[in-house]
Amino acid sequence: MTLRSFQAKLVYLTVAVLVLLQAATLIAVHVAGQRTMRRGIGEELRVGSRVLDRLLAARGEQLSQTVRALASDFAFRETVAIGERPTITEALENHASRVHADAVFLVSLDGNVVADTLKGRYAGKPFPLPSLVREAEKRGKASAIVTFDEKPYQLVVVPVLGPRPIAWVSMGFEIDEPVLNDVRRLTSLDVSLRNPAAAHPLLVSTLRPEEGDDSQVLLHPLQTADGSRIEAVLQRSIAEAQRPYRRLELQIFALSTLALIAAVIAAFFFARGVARPLHRLSDAAQRIERGDYSTAVDIRQHDEIGTLAGAFNRMRTGIAEREEQIRLQATHDSLTGLPNRTLFFDRLSYAIADAKRNGGWIGMIMMDLDRFKDINDTLGHHFGDDLLIEIGRRLSQTLRESDTVARLGGDEFAVMFQVTDPRHAENVAQKIDAALESPFVLGGVSIEISGSMGITIFPQHAGDAATLMKRADIAMYDAKKNHSSFAIYEPGRDEHSLRRLAILSELRHAVARDELVLHYQPKIDVGTGRAVHAEALVRWNHPVHGPLGPDEFIPLAEQSGNISMITKWVLRKAITHCGEWNASGVELTVAVNLSALDLFDAELPTYISGLLSEVGLPASKLVLELTESAVMKDPSYALRILRDLKNRGVTLAIDDYGTGYSSLAHLKRLPVDELKIDKSFVLNLRNAATDDIVIVRSTIELGHNMGLRVIAEGVESAEAWQILKTLGCDMAQGYFVSPPLPADEFRVWIRKAQNGGGGFVPAAAPSF
Amino acid sequence: MRRFLLLLLMPSFASAATLVVDVRDARGAAVADAVVYALPEGRQFPPASRTAVMDQKNRTFIPHVLAVQTGTAVRFPNSDDIRHQVYSFSSAKTFQLPLYKGTPANPVWFDKSGVVSLGCNIHDRMSAYIVIVDTPHFGVTKKNGRAEVPTVGAGRYALHVWYPEMKDEPAAVPLTLAAADRKELTVTIRK
Repeated sequence: MTLRSFQAKLVYLTVAVLVLLQAATLIAVHVAGQRTMRRGIGEELRVGSRVLDRLLAARGEQLSQTVRALASDFAFRETVAIGERPTITEALENHASRVHADAVFLVSLDGNVVADTLKGRYAGKPFPLPSLVREAEKRGKASAIVTFDEKPYQLVVVPVLGPRPIAWVSMGFEIDEPVLNDVRRLTSLDVSLRNPAAAHPLLVSTLRPEEGDDSQVLLHPLQTADGSRIEAVLQRSIAEAQRPYRRLELQIFALSTLALIAAVIAAFFFARGVARPLHRLSDAAQRIERGDYSTAVDIRQHDEIGTLAGAFNRMRTGIAEREEQIRLQATHDSLTGLPNRTLFFDRLSYAIADAKRNGGWIGMIMMDLDRFKDINDTLGHHFGDDLLIEIGRRLSQTLRESDTVARLGGDEFAVMFQVTDPRHAENVAQKIDAALESPFVLGGVSIEISGSMGITIFPQHAGDAATLMKRADIAMYDAKKNHSSFAIYEPGRDEHSLRRLAILSELRHAVARDELVLHYQPKIDVGTGRAVHAEALVRWNHPVHGPLGPDEFIPLAEQSGNISMITKWVLRKAITHCGEWNASGVELTVAVNLSALDLFDAELPTYISGLLSEVGLPASKLVLELTESAVMKDPSYALRILRDLKNRGVTLAIDDYGTGYSSLAHLKRLPVDELKIDKSFVLNLRNAATDDIVIVRSTIELGHNMGLRVIAEGVESAEAWQILKTLGCDMAQGYFVSPPLPADEFRVWIRKAQNGGGGFVPAAAPSF
Repeated sequence: MRRFLLLLLMPSFASAATLVVDVRDARGAAVADAVVYALPEGRQFPPASRTAVMDQKNRTFIPHVLAVQTGTAVRFPNSDDIRHQVYSFSSAKTFQLPLYKGTPANPVWFDKSGVVSLGCNIHDRMSAYIVIVDTPHFGVTKKNGRAEVPTVGAGRYALHVWYPEMKDEPAAVPLTLAAADRKELTVTIRK
C-alpha cells in the first residue's frame, strides 16, 4: 500500500504541478490574448475610421475628377453655354447617368441653381452650398459630405469652362453600401452610417440585421459641409477577433494535454521502477521479520536500489547467522554444550504439558557438586571447566537419549526423564551417582567428586516446571545437609524455604525499620557469683513472623551479605548501652558475636575503636566472640584482624568451642582470651557419667593450660552449675542464671544483682 | 461690387486728338491686356470692314486680348504644327473652328459688340479674349499699362475699360476731346 501510494503520490504530484503550470500558461495566454485583442480591436477601429475618412476623401477626389472630366465635355459645355433649361436638364441627367451620380445641379456664376436632376426642385433658387462653389472657384474643384433627404452624399462642385468658368456643375453621390464594403474589405471592420436626426437613424450597414452583437464599436462622426450629423459606426466582432486566439489557446491546451499524458506515463513508469524493487525489498524485510532468512532478494540493478538490495542480502545472511548463534547461546551452555536453564525449563514445561494430556510421570534431578569451589580454587578455573565438561559428558552417557541433561549454571546440573513408575526416579539418581564414582583424570590430576541430588516427580511433587525445579533444589539442599548423595523432595519443605526467602528479602530493611533489638544474657563468675559480664544477643521483631532468634536470620544475613550491617548495628547498640550502664554505676563487660564474614572487614577494628571512643567505653569492657570456623575460613587474614583488635585492647573469645575441627595448634596461635564451650556439651551436664563431662572437663583444663578463661553456655540446671563449679569453669551463662533479657529488664536485673551484696548466689533451682 | 475710377484729365493740342490711357490697379501696378475704348456720345460708328488676326503659336493665343471694332473679321491662323479647335460659347459670337491646321479659309466675322472668350477644345489651358467694341477708338494696354488711342476726333466720349476676369464693368469716364489734343489719363481699377 505504501509503495503504491508512493507511486500514486509521484503521479499526483506530477499531474498537479503540470496542471498548475499549464493552467497558469493558459490563463496568462488568455488574459494577454484578450488584452491584446481588445487593444488590437481599438487600434483597428481607429485605423478603420481613418481608412474610412481617407476612402471618402479619395472617393471625393475621384468623383471630382470624374465630374471634372464630364464637365469638360465639349458638347456638355456647349449645351450649358448656349442651351435652354430643358436641354440643360436633359444633358445633366444624361451625364449623371454616365457617372452614376444621384443628383446633379447646374449653378450659375451668380450662385443660383440653373437646373437640377431633382425635378427642378432647386431651379432658380440659390445653391444651398455656396461655400463649396467658393472652394471650387479657388481650387478648380471641391467635394464634401452633405445630407439630402436624410441621406449622406458626397457632393462635388466643378466649374464648366468655356474656357473661363461659365457655370458650376455639382453632382451628388450617395454614400452607399459599396463604399462601406470597400472599407470592410480593407479593414475587416463592419461599418454602418447613422443619421441620428432621421426617423430611421440606421442608413446603411455592412452588417446583416442579425449580426452586430458582442462587438466593439467606434462612433466616428463624418466631416460634413452642411453641419448635418452623420455618424459612421465601426464595429469589430469580438468573436471573430478572438478566433485566432481561440485557435492558439486550443493548440496550447492540446499540447498541454499531450504533455500531461506523457508526464503521467513517465511518472508512472519511473515510480513503478522505484516502487517495484522497494516493494520486493519490503517483502524481503517482512520475510526476515517472520524469521525466513532463506530467500534472497533478486534485484540486479546497477544503481542505489541495486546497492541497497546487495546490502540487504548481506544483512539477511548476517542476521541469520547471528540469530542461529544467539539461539544456541540462549538455549545452550557455551562451556559444556548442554542445554541451559532456559531450554531445560522449556523442555520440562513441554514434557509436563504432554504428561498432563497423555499421563505418565516426569522425573527431574537437580545436582550440584560437592567441594567444587575448593577444586576451582586449588586447581584453577580451567581445571574446573574441564571437570564440568567431563561431568556433562558422563551424565549424557549415563542417561537415555530422550532424557535431558542440562547445566543450569556454576556446578549445578539438572536431569529430566520420563518414568513409568515414580520409584524408578531413585534408580536414575543411583545411576548418576555411580557414573561419578570413578575418578576423573584431567591433565594428569586424578580427582574424585560427588554430587548432591534433589529429586522431584511430576505430578506428585508439583504441577508445573517452575515449582518442580524449585522443590528439586530444596531436596538437593536436604541431601547436602544430610550428607547423602540424593534426597527426594519432602512435601512441606517448600513452605519453610519460602519463609527463609521472605526473611532474606526483608532483612535488608530490618535495620532501617528499627526492627532489631538487643537482649542481654548475663555471664556469672562461677567462683565469686559476681555478675559483671553479659552477652548481647540480637533479636528481630519481625512484623509477620514475630520475634526471630539469631539462629534463624544470621545465616541468611551472611548469605545475603547483610551481616556486616547487622554486626555494626549490634556493636553500636551494645557499646552504647554498656557505656550508659557503666556511666550509671553498673560495672559491666559486654560481649558481641562476630560473624566469619566480619573477619574479612579490615575496617572493623577502626570502626570499633571509633565507637568505643565515641561512647567513652574502655576497650577492656568489650568482648568479641567468634566461632572457630569463622577463623578457619581464611586463617591468615583473620589472624591479622584479630591481632589488630587485640592490640586495641579488646578481649577476644572463641565461641561454640568443640563443634569445629580446629586443631589445638591452630588455636594456640590465636590471640584469644576466652573459650566458650558449646552449649551442646553443657545442656546435658546432669550427672558425672556422661561423655560430655569428659569433654567439658578436658576443655576447661586445656583452656586453663593455654591461659584462657573458660565459659560454659547453656547452663540450665543447678546440677550443671554445680558440675561446672567443680570442674573449675570460670563463668557460666544460661537459663539457670537468666534468660536473655531486653535491655531495660537486664538493667534492672544487673543493678539488683550487683547491689544485692555478693552477687549471684545460685539456688537449688533457678529463681528467675 | 461698386468700383470707381480716378481720372486725371490732361489738355490736348491737336485736331485729331491722341488719347493715352494708363491703367493701374489699386496698388498702382500697371495692368496689361486691358482694353480701353471711347464711345462717342450721341452718335454711332458704322461697322468696320477690317480684318484682324488671332494667331496660335506654341499652344497660346496671340495676342491674349484682341480688341476689334464691330464688323471686323478675325482670322485664326494656326502657326503650330498641331491642330487646334478654336471655339467660343460667348453670346457675342458663338462659333467653332473644327480641328484645323494653317489658316482656315474663312475668317470669323464679329458683328456684335461684346466679349468673346476663346478656347481650344483640345488645349483647355489655351484662353484668349476678343473684345468687340462699337468704336474705332480703342487700345490694349501693354506691359507698362499704357494704351495709345490715336486720331480720336474731338468731341464728347465715354471712356470704357475692360480687362480679363473683370466682374463688373467699371463706370465709363465721360471725356471731352478737342482737336489735336493729346490727352493722357490714368485709370485706376480695383482688381
